[in-house]
Amino acid sequence: MKLYKKEGNILQVISFPTESAEKGDYLLVEDQEAGKALIAQVIDVQFAAVPGVLEELLRTLPDGGEPLQGEDIDPMEIAPHITYIQDASLLICKIRATLENDTLSPSSSWLPSRSQSTIKKLSVPMLMKLAKIDGKLPIVLGGTKDSSLLTIDASAIDGTLNIITGKKGCGKSHLSKLLMVNLVGYKATVVVFDLNGEYTSLGMSNDGKRNMYYDKIHTLTPGQNFKVALEQLHLNTVMGILVNALHLPGTSAREFRRIWKMLKEKGKLNMQELGEEIRNLNCNQHVRDALASRFHSLANSGFFTDSPGEATLLDESLMKARDQGGAIVINLKNTSNIDRQIVVEYALGKLVDSLSNWKLKAVFLFAEEAHLYLRETYWDDIVTRMRHFGIFTTFITNQPDTIQENIYRQADNIFLFNFTNEHDLDVVSRAARVDAETVRSIAHDLPPHHCLTLGRVVSDFPIVARVRALDIKTMGETRLFFNNN
Amino acid sequence: MIEQYTITNKYNFPQPNIDTALPQRFLEQSLNSLRQVQHQDLQLNHQTFPLLSVADQCPSSLQLKTEPIQLKPDRQETLVAAVDTSTIKIGETATGIIIAVRGAITWRQNHSYKYTRLGPFIFHITEDNKNAVFNTLEHAYFCTTYGSMHQSAPNMMQMPMRLASLLERWMQTMLAKTVGNGVILFDGSLTSGTIDTPTQRLREILSHARRNGSTVLAFSKATTLRANGILITEQLPNHEPPYLLETLGLHFKPPTTLLGDVYVARLNKANFAFRLDIDREASEEQRIGAVQKLLGNDLYKQSYPETLRLSHILCTFTANEVLAIKHFITRKHGIQIVNRPDMHRLLFGPFGSGEIYS
Repeated sequence: MKLYKKEGNILQVISFPTESAEKGDYLLVEDQEAGKALIAQVIDVQFAAVPGVLEELLRTLPDGGEPLQGEDIDPMEIAPHITYIQDASLLICKIRATLENDTLSPSSSWLPSRSQSTIKKLSVPMLMKLAKIDGKLPIVLGGTKDSSLLTIDASAIDGTLNIITGKKGCGKSHLSKLLMVNLVGYKATVVVFDLNGEYTSLGMSNDGKRNMYYDKIHTLTPGQNFKVALEQLHLNTVMGILVNALHLPGTSAREFRRIWKMLKEKGKLNMQELGEEIRNLNCNQHVRDALASRFHSLANSGFFTDSPGEATLLDESLMKARDQGGAIVINLKNTSNIDRQIVVEYALGKLVDSLSNWKLKAVFLFAEEAHLYLRETYWDDIVTRMRHFGIFTTFITNQPDTIQENIYRQADNIFLFNFTNEHDLDVVSRAARVDAETVRSIAHDLPPHHCLTLGRVVSDFPIVARVRALDIKTMGETRLFFNNN
Repeated sequence: MIEQYTITNKYNFPQPNIDTALPQRFLEQSLNSLRQVQHQDLQLNHQTFPLLSVADQCPSSLQLKTEPIQLKPDRQETLVAAVDTSTIKIGETATGIIIAVRGAITWRQNHSYKYTRLGPFIFHITEDNKNAVFNTLEHAYFCTTYGSMHQSAPNMMQMPMRLASLLERWMQTMLAKTVGNGVILFDGSLTSGTIDTPTQRLREILSHARRNGSTVLAFSKATTLRANGILITEQLPNHEPPYLLETLGLHFKPPTTLLGDVYVARLNKANFAFRLDIDREASEEQRIGAVQKLLGNDLYKQSYPETLRLSHILCTFTANEVLAIKHFITRKHGIQIVNRPDMHRLLFGPFGSGEIYS
């Protein structure tokens, strides 16, 4: 390989057919005289602009369009050399760092010698060693192209905002499960908003037997084993549900607040008394109607109960998870849009409450297709305010444009699967820790189950890995009509 | 080993006794010459040598008949074959030059074009070895024809063209010996008695062709022949092509001999015409018949036969191939390529056009 050009932080390297390099590979451009080396990543592979190639190709095509047939008597065997030159490729590489005295710096301000520099491939293990991508809490994400393991440190996910995105069926949920079970393994508290009920079997292995996580997975299904009694709720949580999920107007909200306080003082804070009080409310007709309709929404959700015995408290599950590590899977499958929002409002309010009271240290929140249940104002809340309380969110989506731009800008880690659509790639490339060329070029060609990992977990050295398999019962498969069963 | 150079046996040409000594000598001389240059530095040079062409003499007596010979394409299936060679200077060493030579034969049969390319042969030509290289190759040719060496070795700068010319004559001979009842196209003219085309050698080629019932047509891409002070290819009558214009009174000073009669050929409506030399020994009927067979069996865009055009294209060295040859001589013979400054560029900047070789 030979260094050809450097423009900004883009290197162009000439590579010959015997030196295979592909998108995603790392190169070490070493200038021994300068005592420095550039670490660059191949983001595109093109044909080198070898002069005369066009003529070479054109002359094999006569007017008829059929390739010209013939025999080359080449006694000196020059033809392999012609092919060698003709197949030379141009590697477009992004400079990631400068290596000097075994120390990495993000600088690309110096120019290595074009004639003296040596260029060789940098293996992922060597890169990880140089970049110190290791730690005491390893999570093996999968295997890289050079058959090494991509291992990240769980602490690099701690306190961060993460995004897992890619088109349908490429393995996003699989990766989020992998991260979750590993976090649970390190005794972390994980909460999942499970839109399709695919995380409910995390405690089961493929053969249907219980696995090591069985006791740590707490599945809460709203209306079934996940109900709450009004007396267990804080007024702020209920107000959050009414205002944000059920869009209760301000005047009515004030009236509701008065009724709630009154019932609480009387010790009659339950659904039956609340309904009765609203029915008998002596106030403006519109206010009463507004409150009545919201009450019916709450009652019909099946999420609220007057029986304390039926009320499985989120608190209890959280406490269990806090002590031993665990995942609370909130199963939102078969839940209506309004009910989903009620449940999510409740759960987030409860988490903030527990965290602000230091009942919990921190929670890793996994939110699949969050735009389906998260109100718009919560996005900012989650990435700014709630992060300070200790809610560290991972968004999982196949529609990257449903996540707001400011979320991408603040994302610490992005796990990017294949996208074919340029628009989707444009959206993802807005992330602060990602450069647009890398995203557009590498993610476009990722095979299924291969993930481009970007951000803090890989010390800002984007690495492609095939996500490793998990011995967990799969629940996320699409139900098919034309299958054999 | 040597059988691989037999260019015809795979394509159902008749099988006469084919002399394969020349390509074998080309390879031997090529390898020998390169061995002498190992581990030397090479100064790059991409200048292409045009093949040596006879300086057209322009006798004042040359006249162009104004009445054209009307042509009608003859679609009787006839093999049309053409040959061309090319040479290029790859660079200079401290003691000489490195050149490459290649030839191509193209033919049209059953409505499709096929080709055989021979080479490239790479030579390191020095003052010390140029005589040996040239004489060995000449001998390889003449030992079967004349059995003596009577050509003096050219000067070093002429060597690329002389070697290419030698290869071209050999390939022309092979075609003349193997193509039966066909039309053979040469690049250039049928002028002989020049330093690279001895009369006897060209006469022999034409004779072989005639014996096999073939006719040789030589197309010149450019000519300096003038009638009444105007280039013969620019005096086209207002007549529907295809047609030939006959010339009269063309004679050269000895030893230059014309073995063909010179015509101006305008083969289609494209406003181009070319000097066409047709074997003088062929009858009038054969000559016209050969051109009509060419019209009926080949494409002739821009009034130039496609078979000959392909031969030229196939033997020409592309920049990519020059790079590959440099790669070859670096890898196989340890010749290091160095870029010495071009003095023209150095002294005159953008006004320096580089060295011109002729």
